[in-house]
Amino acid sequence: MHVMEGYLPFMWCIIWFVISFIIVAFGVYQIKKIVDETPESKALLAVSGAFMFVLSSLKLPSVTGSCSHPCGNGLGAALFGPAVTAVLATIVLLFQAILLAHGGLTTLGANIFSMGIVGPFIAWIVYKGLTKANVSSTIAIFFAAFLGDLLTYVATSFQLALAFPAPSFATALTNFLTIFAVTQIPLAIGEGILTVIIWDRLKEYKPKLLDKLGALAPNEA
Amino acid sequence: MKFDMDYIAHNNALTESNPYVKLFLTIILLALTLILDNLYFDVIIFVVMSVVILGVAKINYRSYLKFLSIPMAFLVITCIFLVFFFGKGEVIYETGIFGIVVRSDSLHYAIYTFMRVIGCLPCLGFLALTTPIANILHCLESLKVPKILIEIALLMYNTIFIFLNEIDTMKKAQETRLGYHSYMSSFKSLGALASTIFLRSLDKSETLQNSLDSRGYSGELPVYVPKKES
Repeated sequence: MHVMEGYLPFMWCIIWFVISFIIVAFGVYQIKKIVDETPESKALLAVSGAFMFVLSSLKLPSVTGSCSHPCGNGLGAALFGPAVTAVLATIVLLFQAILLAHGGLTTLGANIFSMGIVGPFIAWIVYKGLTKANVSSTIAIFFAAFLGDLLTYVATSFQLALAFPAPSFATALTNFLTIFAVTQIPLAIGEGILTVIIWDRLKEYKPKLLDKLGALAPNEA
Repeated sequence: MKFDMDYIAHNNALTESNPYVKLFLTIILLALTLILDNLYFDVIIFVVMSVVILGVAKINYRSYLKFLSIPMAFLVITCIFLVFFFGKGEVIYETGIFGIVVRSDSLHYAIYTFMRVIGCLPCLGFLALTTPIANILHCLESLKVPKILIEIALLMYNTIFIFLNEIDTMKKAQETRLGYHSYMSSFKSLGALASTIFLRSLDKSETLQNSLDSRGYSGELPVYVPKKES
């Protein structure tokens, strides 16, 4: 769930903007390096970003009945690494705010932090860790997507609890986490399964590309 | 279609007006609403911006309501949570169910948050409904946002619409074959849909790169800015 426009007090908007800005700036620097080395990767990046956006406009069949969508963070992080994913997520979130009224401009910083930075970063660590430990990439991608999704919501709960610390930060955090846990755990499992299906097809049809991006497990390359 | 907002942004009375003015107006108003955090100001902003959107930009009131409705639903739900589960001040109302109570400071939080969002939404709406994305991106570019970011965003914007058409076709094809009949089959269909789109997108990116290269693309998309008729 995106933090909506105007939901956070001014101070927290600024804080999250500053934190996100630093990390996204690093991501932009990395993208610049990639594009300078291989100019044709610009189109690939753009199209992957569009894919992320379009994926988020597909409705995921959710167990709890709440309509929600996959965010494609896990997949992006496993393919391109967290820094590049953060930049793509920034653009995607800006588009979502302007084209779909999901999220907002003032809360853009907070949303980038939870969805573009924490989620992909966790997913990337989980994915790399599991594949290093000789787990097949299909299982690794499931846990990457699942945990990436889940941690995104933990991060959102943190942000909301920080902004509304009543009666105390800890109780507010538990409150938000319980609210999210009910709806988000089934959703995260759903996203995990969906990502596995996509991953399997990718491995079947474009193994060379995955290999080139360095996204396959060492024993499968 | 899903992207009414893009269509509206290209077809309203304010489409051609200066995007810088619109962008800065939106940002300043948003910041003001957040800084002041004043209930009356929120209402004033809401009314003024709604009048601007409906009256000056001449946007159909139905589309405007539709734009407001989705965030509003979320807002009501979250504010109900805020009212009942937060705060530690004095109890002002007891529901009698599971000891859930309304406290004075939780009510305060909920009302202020609710009104703040009410004030901010039309500001976002003003920018989103009157300014095409390409214009916003060009504004950002002249404000020293890195060029590479803008270019990727522009290429992305272009690709999104191609994808949406393809998804539409594929989804209809899957639906006519009962692809979304049961829970398991809808998962399978969605997976197939998403992965096919991804594979297509890779091919598309290659075509896009080739077409850009063949027109002498050197990492810049120059835009013709017409002179103002005075």
